[in-house]
Amino acid sequence: MSTSASLGTFEDKIAYIEGKCGDNGDFSARRFQVFGRYPAALFGFSNMINPEMLNTNVLRPLMYRPLQLDDVDDLPPERLRDVLINDSLFFSQAKIEEAPDRWISGLVHGQSVVVIDGLEGAIVVETRHIEKRGIEQPLTEQVIRGPREGFIEMLGTNLSLIRYRLQTPEFRVHTMEIGRRTHSSVAICHIDGITNPELVNEVKRRLSKIDVDGVLDSGYLEQYIEDNHITPFPQVQYTERPDKVVANLLEGRVAILVDGSPLALIVPTVFSQFYQTVEDYTERFLLMSAIRMARLVALMFSLVFPSLYVSIISFNPELIPTEFAVAVAGGRAGVPFPAVVEVLIMEISMEVLREATIRLPQQVGGALSIVGVLVIGQAAVSAGFASPITVVIIALTTIGSFATPAYNAALALRLLRFPLVIMAGIFGLYGVMIGLILIANHMLSLKSFGIPYLSPLIPGNFQGLKDLLIRGPLWWMKKRPAFLQTIDRDRLGSNTPPEREARNVLDPQKIKNKQER
Amino acid sequence: MTTDRILKLGRRLIVASFFVIALTGCWDRLEIEERAVVLGVSIDTASPEAEAEEDEVSHLQGSQPVPSKDMVRVAVQIALPGRIPLGPGESGGGGKGSAGQTVWVVDVVGHSVDDAIMNLQQQISSRLFFGHLRVIVVSEQLAKKGLENVNDYFRRNSEVRRMAWMMVSKGSAKDLMVAAPKLERVPTLYLMSTLDEGIRMGKFPKDYIGIFWSNSSKKGQEGFLPYVEIKKEQNVEVKGLAFFRGSKMVGKSNPLQIAGYLGVKGINPAGYRVFVKLDGAPSTVMTAAAHRSSKIGLRIRNGIPVFSIQIAIDVNLEEKMGDKIHINDPKTLRRIELLQEEGSDKSYKDFLEMTQKLGSDIFGFGEIVRSKQPAFWNRHVKSKERWQEMYKEVEFEVSTSIKIRRIGMKGK
Amino acid sequence: MEPKRHITVIETASILVSTIIGVGVLPLPLFAVNAGDSGAPLITFVAVLFATVGVVLIAVLGMRFPEQTIVQYGETIIGKWPGRLGSLLVIGFFAVLTSLTAREFGEVVVTAVLKKTPVEVTVIVMLLLAALSVRNNLTTFSYIHYFYFPLLLFPALFIVALSLKNADVQNILPIWGNRPVGVTRGIITITALFQGSFILTSVIPHMRRPEYAMRASMVGMLVAGGLYVIIVAATVSVFGAEETKKLLWPTLELAKATSLPANVLERLDAAFLAVWVTAVFTTLLSSYFLTIQSASQLLKLKDHRMFSFFLLPFVFVMAMQPQNIVQMYQIIELVGRIGLFITIAYPAMLLVVSILRKKRGERVDDRSNP
Repeated sequence: MSTSASLGTFEDKIAYIEGKCGDNGDFSARRFQVFGRYPAALFGFSNMINPEMLNTNVLRPLMYRPLQLDDVDDLPPERLRDVLINDSLFFSQAKIEEAPDRWISGLVHGQSVVVIDGLEGAIVVETRHIEKRGIEQPLTEQVIRGPREGFIEMLGTNLSLIRYRLQTPEFRVHTMEIGRRTHSSVAICHIDGITNPELVNEVKRRLSKIDVDGVLDSGYLEQYIEDNHITPFPQVQYTERPDKVVANLLEGRVAILVDGSPLALIVPTVFSQFYQTVEDYTERFLLMSAIRMARLVALMFSLVFPSLYVSIISFNPELIPTEFAVAVAGGRAGVPFPAVVEVLIMEISMEVLREATIRLPQQVGGALSIVGVLVIGQAAVSAGFASPITVVIIALTTIGSFATPAYNAALALRLLRFPLVIMAGIFGLYGVMIGLILIANHMLSLKSFGIPYLSPLIPGNFQGLKDLLIRGPLWWMKKRPAFLQTIDRDRLGSNTPPEREARNVLDPQKIKNKQER
Repeated sequence: MTTDRILKLGRRLIVASFFVIALTGCWDRLEIEERAVVLGVSIDTASPEAEAEEDEVSHLQGSQPVPSKDMVRVAVQIALPGRIPLGPGESGGGGKGSAGQTVWVVDVVGHSVDDAIMNLQQQISSRLFFGHLRVIVVSEQLAKKGLENVNDYFRRNSEVRRMAWMMVSKGSAKDLMVAAPKLERVPTLYLMSTLDEGIRMGKFPKDYIGIFWSNSSKKGQEGFLPYVEIKKEQNVEVKGLAFFRGSKMVGKSNPLQIAGYLGVKGINPAGYRVFVKLDGAPSTVMTAAAHRSSKIGLRIRNGIPVFSIQIAIDVNLEEKMGDKIHINDPKTLRRIELLQEEGSDKSYKDFLEMTQKLGSDIFGFGEIVRSKQPAFWNRHVKSKERWQEMYKEVEFEVSTSIKIRRIGMKGK
Repeated sequence: MEPKRHITVIETASILVSTIIGVGVLPLPLFAVNAGDSGAPLITFVAVLFATVGVVLIAVLGMRFPEQTIVQYGETIIGKWPGRLGSLLVIGFFAVLTSLTAREFGEVVVTAVLKKTPVEVTVIVMLLLAALSVRNNLTTFSYIHYFYFPLLLFPALFIVALSLKNADVQNILPIWGNRPVGVTRGIITITALFQGSFILTSVIPHMRRPEYAMRASMVGMLVAGGLYVIIVAATVSVFGAEETKKLLWPTLELAKATSLPANVLERLDAAFLAVWVTAVFTTLLSSYFLTIQSASQLLKLKDHRMFSFFLLPFVFVMAMQPQNIVQMYQIIELVGRIGLFITIAYPAMLLVVSILRKKRGERVDDRSNP
């Protein structure tokens, strides 16, 4: 590695930088003279820097002599350096870097480098300017009641969105670079005084051990830091909602953001998080408890419904009412396949349709999904390819799987229903049960950063049950989740009751009395 | 570690072999439309000459011993998938299908029920499936010979539900299978709903096949079954109770005596109507029972159990013939009550006497003795046979109290 | 890595309950009425008391040696070789118990639901399920039991509650039965159904507070025993004692006679049997775990996982030994009776000797992980 000293002269430095970056078409180098007398050169990748800012805030002050100084001729190098940084540049993020490799890394990050004859090192100026999209509604996690902002690709913007909701000095951001070639910045966020420091250290440790070419999305990191890799169940939650990140930070979790990815990772994660939404907490608890139950039912539906159908039709038709059984037999009479095959075919074609509607351009997609569901379903029935009831079952299952807010968890359950259907085809209800036991045992053995995956159900925690199947009133949930082992356990001030003794200030009786008096 | 590797390999082999086994499996998968869903079964006696009809399916004639019992004729009612439309509306497969075509009735003879069903299976391609068997009809003739074989077969078969109905038919049982009542798409379901609705209207006690079995098994109780007859419009009348003693039918009652049974047991809701004749024909009223309750007391007198039965019935006045009487007079109402009490007392007593004569304790008085007076039971009864004898000698004291509660929308 | 002591009292109790409740519940009312007619609930209750005595013995022993399992303290108490012989008996007995449980459930499934599936397949499926799950550590083991605990309590209680509309109190009167015969035999048979409680010996050394072992076992026995009595009482009051005698698996028949309100499901036997797979699974898991853990401790192996598939063929072959269902139940009764010596008499003997010889395990805190 070369040091500044080895690049003695001004020309050496220029040659070094030109050698490293000069081959690029978007690289610009401009020679000029500082204060009209010291030769200098400015380097930068022209598309990554803000030219206006560069011109007005860097080039102009460097070329003109500072007004407050009379004599800038023949300054000794140390003095020149001070004058430049302290008096000339009106720029907050400018510093002198000695190491040439820092210049290069600065350049590729979008900084500009100014080399001046007679000056040790070079001035690195933060001129990065990258086009970004505006802050929009998070598309995958829409809510009716709640903030409308979603993360974008820029790490800085995302951090600002979080800090804006969490205006406390205890909110800590630790940044590191991952990716041998991409040098992506990764920010690890937590709240000091809440989050267990062991957890933060472990996250840092796991992240620092990653040595990979490139990190293009937070999803890359997820796969390196999760506990168990061979499982369909996600052990890291992702979100594009800043408010969700803040809520999780406040519970004592750690968030990981990656530059270039609009999705933040949240660790550690337990299963119950996947069917909870932000909205659960903004709306009244009774309603949201009911809706959460409905979501759970949908979750179970999407997992077991087809397999139950297969096992009842093919193995235990005595369970359903006689009238219905006879009718079902009638509906199935023309179908050439056994129920297992029929369900599998329909399920697979449903998955194909679903995938296709995601990939297709939006304008076509809407049309196709209608065609897919209505026409294909109807046609399959009238062609004697599937029985009407199968179509109903498949439709319910597919719709049910979309009720799960977390896409990755819904995907896991959707995937698992295929083995269940096959088990149902072999052993009927018995097989479904065996399959469910295997899945449950697997989930029980999963851990996310040491936390059992099914917490707070297993191991039991009464406090946690208030936010598991139902969403208890906010004033019930006085503590942060116990399984996160937070330093500060209390969420609620001890005397923050909901308004119990309401003062009837506008009671018509009272007001009337007052008026009469 | 090599052991580790071997173990891993072994594990994979076991898992793999399991999948191979499983995938070649699907032993029990049988689609619902591939099953011959049996909705009803009728069992008649058949003359020994019917043996000629039988093919050698379960046994070779002459070479293997056949049970000495007489032949039975079994008819099954199988639902025809496709003929019964899915969902409400749409008047069925092609419109021309009359109700008789939603099911298929096939009959066959055999030496025992299972034998007959084997013979039947030989003639039908899809596997007979008894999971939806709702009604079993046996003919009176067979019931009188004894139902041991029938009970055993259906109890042993794991597909048969305990909530099915078993009934005794007057005359041929097969007629009930081929009957095609107009109200239901599936004839058997009509039969079933006749009885189920009977329970709801207070016209019949709960007497599913499981309850019949339980009652017949009990030491101090006998079973009974509904006794039905098919009428000319192919509708079905519940004609009374068929009394059993052990597994043999020993007698039957008339329809109003079902009310007697329900009254003694105090089963609700109540649903029977009776005439009360005040002073001659023109001033007769009809009352409908609305609520029954009964209290059975037991004491031992001279080594014989004496049951005191107190029955209280709430009735509503439903109809009045002639204008002479004014029922808005409490005295008249009281008179009606008294008259009806008198009549009821007598009818209950007659009914009890009748069962005593037959030695068929369908009420379970013996069970009361067993549970309330175990010492007496252990000393003097102990077995079912002894109780059947003793039941003929037990004494009853019946007292009925009738209360008229409502008289309808009319004031007078 | 993993903390050694982490199993809570509730978890211990749920391990006990879900281990005890298993396939034995299906024929239980039959055993009970054969012994005591309408006195069946009382017989069951007495059997529960007997079984509780056994559990108390184990709990007391476990609290005396809070760091060790029965294999380890057996050697301490009665010497190396007699202790090893005792442990060998325990291992053998639980291996047999595992195989018989698997076989019994296999028979139930094949008789009631999957009529054409070979019984070998249903047995091997259950055994594989247990063998796969037994490879987890004790934490997951206790989680599994804790998770399935409600799944096994509620269906049973649900069936009982639904069947109550057909129940008649008269059927379980008089509560001491009408001069029943074979009461002792019945009590022994039913007591033998509680042998799964022996799992306590391997759980106590991992309890967070071993001194609460007694409380946990009392709760466990109360729940499991209570459920047993309730099931017997419900079955007999619905069917009557005489009818119950004619049914091979009265509890299953109870599910068959029950329908959900509004006829959503017209009968519950197949559904109940499916849910009951979990109950049988937890029982199998415990007895298999006990066998494997004891065997590896006897051989002073660090990891019990090695055995899980090694033992599988032996257990399977043993399970296939009974020729038919009648013979199987004879063997089950016989094994159960022999088992009482191992699960009650052996701990009792150990306890007496340890008191006489004043042997005692180290205190929990005095010693770090051995």
